[in-house]
Amino acid sequence: MSRVRAYGTAVLALIVLTPSSSHAQGRGAYPPPSTTSQLTFRGFGDVGVAVFSATQSFRAILGRPAGPLFGGGVELGLSKHLFVSVAASRFRRTGHRVFAFQGQVFDLNEPATITITPLEITAGYRYTGPGQPATRAAAPAKLIPYVGGGVGWHKYTETSAHSTDADDAHATFTGYQVVGGLEMPLQNWMALAAEAQFASVPNALGQDPNGVSSVYNEHNLGGFTFRVKVVVGR
Amino acid sequence: MPFSKLVGALTCAIVAIGAVVTAQNGLPAFRALMSDVAPPGIDTGVRDANAPREPRPYNYDRVSRSSSLPYLRGSIIVKFKPGTAMTSQRAMLARAGASTMEAPPYSDFDIVTIAATADPELAARAFAAQPDVEYAQARYRMHPMFVPNDPLYSMQWNYPAIDMEHAWDVNPGASSSVIVAVLDSGLAFRNQVVRFNIPAWTWTDGTRFPALGPTDIPFAAAPDLGGTDRFVSPRDFIWDDANPVDLDGHGTHVSGTIGQSTNNGIGVAGMAFNVRIMPVKVISSLWDDVFGSPYEGTDDVVARGVRYAVDNGARVLNMSIGRQGPPAPVVQDAIAYAVRNGAFVAVAAGNDFQVGNGVERLAEFAPQIQGMVAVGSVGRDRLRAYYSNSGPYIEIVAPGGNQRSGGIMGGILQQTYDFSGVDTYLNGAARYRAPRFDTFAYQFFQGTSMATPHVAGLAALLMQQGITSPAAIEAAIESFATDLGPSGRDDQYGYGLINPRASLRGLGLAK
Repeated sequence: MSRVRAYGTAVLALIVLTPSSSHAQGRGAYPPPSTTSQLTFRGFGDVGVAVFSATQSFRAILGRPAGPLFGGGVELGLSKHLFVSVAASRFRRTGHRVFAFQGQVFDLNEPATITITPLEITAGYRYTGPGQPATRAAAPAKLIPYVGGGVGWHKYTETSAHSTDADDAHATFTGYQVVGGLEMPLQNWMALAAEAQFASVPNALGQDPNGVSSVYNEHNLGGFTFRVKVVVGR
Repeated sequence: MPFSKLVGALTCAIVAIGAVVTAQNGLPAFRALMSDVAPPGIDTGVRDANAPREPRPYNYDRVSRSSSLPYLRGSIIVKFKPGTAMTSQRAMLARAGASTMEAPPYSDFDIVTIAATADPELAARAFAAQPDVEYAQARYRMHPMFVPNDPLYSMQWNYPAIDMEHAWDVNPGASSSVIVAVLDSGLAFRNQVVRFNIPAWTWTDGTRFPALGPTDIPFAAAPDLGGTDRFVSPRDFIWDDANPVDLDGHGTHVSGTIGQSTNNGIGVAGMAFNVRIMPVKVISSLWDDVFGSPYEGTDDVVARGVRYAVDNGARVLNMSIGRQGPPAPVVQDAIAYAVRNGAFVAVAAGNDFQVGNGVERLAEFAPQIQGMVAVGSVGRDRLRAYYSNSGPYIEIVAPGGNQRSGGIMGGILQQTYDFSGVDTYLNGAARYRAPRFDTFAYQFFQGTSMATPHVAGLAALLMQQGITSPAAIEAAIESFATDLGPSGRDDQYGYGLINPRASLRGLGLAK
């Protein structure tokens, strides 16, 4: 519950502290007013593949260092170019606990389920080009690149068969991410985006001797994520 | 050679062998299976009210045929370097005054005959100095590692002490695909009647027991060990046949800790209760000696037993046996062979802490072989048992009992013989009678012999769980052990007390 409250507070704080377009106009710090400088609000859903930095650890437990994840979020357009997004996604796979010894991994046939739920807040810049709207498909074939970065809270859960509460892992780790992508408007109210993200979540793994990550000396829960997003709104 | 001459020569040889045996025992030694149908064993319950049995010392001269030396006279073990020409071997034999040599089955060494009056140690040293000899050693006798004591209690504290109930949740007793060889004094595994020729003999205290002549002795399978399908490839290297009956009770007790039938509503539990057990008899007991077994539990016999077990599919070897004295390269070689061929080996660390804490010659090379573990013993209080050896070769500890600190129930409870039917010589010559091996009781034993099968059982569980490499099994046992004593590995507890549940669960991703 406290974590949920923390997430809520963080999101709220970011939204409140982010300069609104009217404030920006007042200070003259942002691009001049235009029809596209109003606040915009969009939602998106995404599907992607996460490729974890802790390659050996994930490969040992899950059989591969990558897996699908699904998510969604909202994006607030602050100006023609600037946006803030809040996204949540979920990675969940079941593998087996193992014993690693001298480069060999022995599958102990003891099911272990890894669930990672990142909540990420990203501020970004969208390069729309001169005179183009930020989010509208004025020129349907035009690709709109964007970049961003932000902070994320990664809820990590690891459960296994025959475990007790003390055996399971439930923790939330803070990390950061950078993101880049291309958005292709499809309709006035819909766009498709391909996005690559790198997240770093330091000191999340490798802390417990009962984790294979400590054997491999892998500490980072982050990695690359490649997503396809469907964006709705204008 | 004409046929008549061949027959004559063979007859002479047989007569000569018979003469030797007769000279040793007074009567020709033999044993013959009279019937493999016999009544089932009788379970007389827990021995928790009897008077304590006198402990049997290790190196006692049990019967008149044995010398008091810890090794055999008249022969030594020699391993020539690969490629050594036969002519060169014969030349070495001649130089050392040796007469013949033979390579017994399941060996990569030779038994070289030397003069009966020659000192085997000196002869072995002379051979070892030859450039084409890899090693040479005297034929030292092995002995069981338990500290025999009073069989008087009724609960198995040893499994809760290592959180075994939770470990069984993870892996309920392995499966019949895992074969555990018990290299010991044999096993009560079959109902049968065996005829032995019982000669007169003299015990250590000078008591002379009369000859009983050919006697049919009943054997039965230990009732709580399960049906005959639990046993695979039995082999007796003491009698050189496939009927490794236990004439002592040690091997049956040890086997119980490994694989006693569990959750069957009777008796006691075992660590890996679904495995199949391979009884390999490599240790001779008092009755084997009395009955005139052709072999004793010497280094070469043990080494052959190790090779036999591995060659016949055993993937875990329990060796609750050992000895002191000079090194035993022939056994080290055999164990290295076992590990190379995928078998994990658990060896008792020895019970001689209070009598000099001498180096156990089997256990000592455990640190050099990844896949072999030397097992010390703790009592119910999780402290090193008073008898348990310490030293750089101690790698792990397991419950072996400590009846000084824990009383009689501080031993390890398992089913074995009711010794009132076995130790018939304890009643004096007047009431002496033939032993019987068909009556069973639940007895408390203590010793590193009792600790070792906990580790062998855990290894069987780990093998079933998916760790197939002996070296990895050793690592899994040691890395998840509960550290006792000084932090990290130490000479009393090794890496600590086995933690089967943690070993079986292994590693998660983060935790």
